Amino acid sequence: MSHAIRKEALRALVGSWLAEGKRVAGPVAVGPGRVLYQPLVSPERLLLDGFIRTVNSIKAFVFPRHEELYAYRFRGRQVELIDAPLPEEEQIVIGARPCDAAALPVLDHVFRWGTPDRSYERRRELTTVVTLACREYDDHCFCTSLDSGPRDERGSDVLLVEIDEETYEVVWLTSKGKDLFVRHTERADRKGTIGTGPKRKFDAAALERFLAENFESPVWETFALRCLGCGACAYDCPTCHCFDIVDEGDRHGGMRVRNWDSCQFALFTLHASGHNPRTAQAQRIRQRIYHKFRIYPDKFGDTLCTGCGNCSRGCPVHLGIRPVLEAISALERKPQSAPPKTP
Amino acid sequence: MTAPPVSADPATAPNLYLPDLMEVLEVQQHTADTKSVRLRFRNEIAAKRFSFRVGQFGIFSAFGSGEATFNICSSSTWKDYIEFCFRRTGMVTDALWEVDKDDTIGFRGPYGNGYPMEKWRRKHLIFLGGGIAMPPIRCAIWYALEHRDEYGEITIIYGARSTKDLVFADDLARWAQYDGVQVIRCVDPGGETPDWDGEVGFVPEVLKRADVRSDNSVALVVGPPIMIKLTMPLLTRMGLVDRDIYTSLESRMKCGVGKCGRCNCGPVYLCKEGPVFTLEQLKALPNDY
Amino acid sequence: MIEALRELARRLLAEERVRVVIGYGQSSPQGPVHPLFITRAEDAEQLVWNRQCFSNLTAYLTRKDVRALGPAAVVVKGCDERTITVLEKEAQLERERVFVVGMVCEGMGDPGLPKCQVCDRHRPRLADETLGEAVDREVPALERYAALEAFLARPAEQRMAYWQEELARCVKCYACRQVCPLCYCERCIVDKNRPAVIDTSATLKGNFAWHITRAFHLAGRCVACGECARVCPVGIDLTLLNQSLARAAEEAYGFRAGEDPRVEPLVGSWSPQDREDFIR
Repeated sequence: MSHAIRKEALRALVGSWLAEGKRVAGPVAVGPGRVLYQPLVSPERLLLDGFIRTVNSIKAFVFPRHEELYAYRFRGRQVELIDAPLPEEEQIVIGARPCDAAALPVLDHVFRWGTPDRSYERRRELTTVVTLACREYDDHCFCTSLDSGPRDERGSDVLLVEIDEETYEVVWLTSKGKDLFVRHTERADRKGTIGTGPKRKFDAAALERFLAENFESPVWETFALRCLGCGACAYDCPTCHCFDIVDEGDRHGGMRVRNWDSCQFALFTLHASGHNPRTAQAQRIRQRIYHKFRIYPDKFGDTLCTGCGNCSRGCPVHLGIRPVLEAISALERKPQSAPPKTP
Repeated sequence: MTAPPVSADPATAPNLYLPDLMEVLEVQQHTADTKSVRLRFRNEIAAKRFSFRVGQFGIFSAFGSGEATFNICSSSTWKDYIEFCFRRTGMVTDALWEVDKDDTIGFRGPYGNGYPMEKWRRKHLIFLGGGIAMPPIRCAIWYALEHRDEYGEITIIYGARSTKDLVFADDLARWAQYDGVQVIRCVDPGGETPDWDGEVGFVPEVLKRADVRSDNSVALVVGPPIMIKLTMPLLTRMGLVDRDIYTSLESRMKCGVGKCGRCNCGPVYLCKEGPVFTLEQLKALPNDY
Repeated sequence: MIEALRELARRLLAEERVRVVIGYGQSSPQGPVHPLFITRAEDAEQLVWNRQCFSNLTAYLTRKDVRALGPAAVVVKGCDERTITVLEKEAQLERERVFVVGMVCEGMGDPGLPKCQVCDRHRPRLADETLGEAVDREVPALERYAALEAFLARPAEQRMAYWQEELARCVKCYACRQVCPLCYCERCIVDKNRPAVIDTSATLKGNFAWHITRAFHLAGRCVACGECARVCPVGIDLTLLNQSLARAAEEAYGFRAGEDPRVEPLVGSWSPQDREDFIR
């Protein structure tokens, strides 16, 4: 026996959350071929059926792209600091993909180690993630290459798995998730089924071996010419979490804020002295790969990538992580061969 | 996969980005573009709670302009105030340049690992600094002098581009007064004035010429990358082993606590696991700094 | 046409007339088309030409790492070719150091992109060698600005509401800037902070400041290649902004950026006959 919810009933349930004044977000079409996780105004616009892959990830709901850290006011030669209020609004993310939800426990490591990040922590508490297991994939998906898959439960509070065209199986994974659904499901004698996920695109073990010895390698140059050095890959990524801290205000006072930032920008590591440890795009591409597949695993035991493929889908020149990892994987298979000739 | 980290209670956890407010006690101008500032906590409880190790850094803010990272260049034995030194190079240091006595500056910290001063006890100390990198050796020198009987002979070689670019010149003069302390000041060729009584030459050359005690010694080298690169092999030739040669790496930082993703050098987050490294550790790091 | 292109690339590299050919490649027959850099004659067969060759490759001509390779050949469509004229006029490239391979283009995408519907330069005019046969169709200015006209016909409040909704999505990834062949500034104004003029935050205020400033900096320069809008991850139609300034330039001065290599840049030149009725 399992719990199930009919698709119209789910949409009605979303409507009732909205009616209660809850903040609900899910995949919404914003233009031709572009779907974003956005706060919902009505349940009708929520996209659930078919291959739905958003440009962005759900990280923005726990780590917003712009956030006040505190305010300051000038009082003569003194300064008054006003701590930013803690977020209070509960939010539900519905229709998240397993690769988005799985990013949350990965992000927990960095925001919790040493000194915990208060507002991140608070938003994690306030957020309930209702994930939809994947039945369809595209060429960019590579969750299965990273020991994840189309029904990865990490980071989700509820997992919905399609039983048939009318019904989802409801698997609650946390008490938070159960509270949302418990009075709204019916008994079902069938379980939801999904496929095996996208085919494996590269060998994670080979990648690990390669990174252990190839900090200096021509492979990093392979895509450097083509890469435009924008931040689309990092901002669309569910696990990228680099940020900047800046002041915004006038002569009376202002706010100190944190904004998303990206290691792909040339100025990211520029020192005040003018020295820059990463002057070339090849070094910046290498940094992104190392951070995700070696540094983070070494430090926290988790990969800083869930295989969602957003970095490639959103890349203006169709790069992102997968092509780089495939190139590395190909090198590892044929250790004698030179790296691809043409970037 | 390791177990997910335990979450903290956000209701009671402090806002880690919120700085302490500091009163400016004194501003000293060293060169045309370098100043040091002496600060005292405005909040007494914060002042009592505060302690640091020499070699650690702080994140200082000029409200309205932003934050910048500087070494705390005073000794940890001085209890009433802390000092930092900066060169005017950007938006934040432009604002700090305008700071005067009684003004308010923000401070977060201390961050980073600092120097292992206990480990250096009963050893001879060699300090090598270049230009604006004087502050990160100054704190350690004063610490050692305040515990004079715990350390052996002390050699200080400090170089700047010209006589006009020496920072903490008064400290250099005072250190020379101590027993068992050798202070060698040098300026780059062409940077000397007719009345210059120090050496002329780059720090590595001056080190080569100098009579420096190198048995049972540790060295701390801080300066521009090229100076560090040329000085370290000389120390090795003098017989110092890699784990007795130290440096403090510079990096662009934002959070100071290993979250913003900016300061890593290979696997090492400089803000948490640095900025102080031995040559032995440095050799294990990738060329990413 | 593709064989002619590959042959030309092979010849240019073999004869060492150029060190790199910037063209289009495709990792698999169904895969997306992407910019490709060919540095060896034997790799020329990797070049492709089809209706997915969206990128305006002239954006790479001013990049340091590409320039470091030496003289380049670049594959352009009629629309892309205009940026070469602008870049040359703005002293950003020496025309003789670039071999321009013009591709006659029937439009990109299926159905064609909006810009292709009103294209009046299917055949490049200024290329060193042009491949393919087609005749240009004259498109009246009104048609080229039809989408803009329709937008401007809406009441001001509606237009403001539109921009608020659109720009609220901007995450400041700067893909628009990085892909733009005319955003070649060594240090962009949004990255300058002495003083800080534009908020770096991706707030409505910071986003308005950024996109309006960028549009103004492209006034009389933007050639409407549409790359900024195409690559915007969150789907903001930046061509509307750029087109409104392009139309102003065309209406007031009869000027179209990149159209005629003999005409001096609009913002970089002055004539006593210039209209000045907008100065009050």
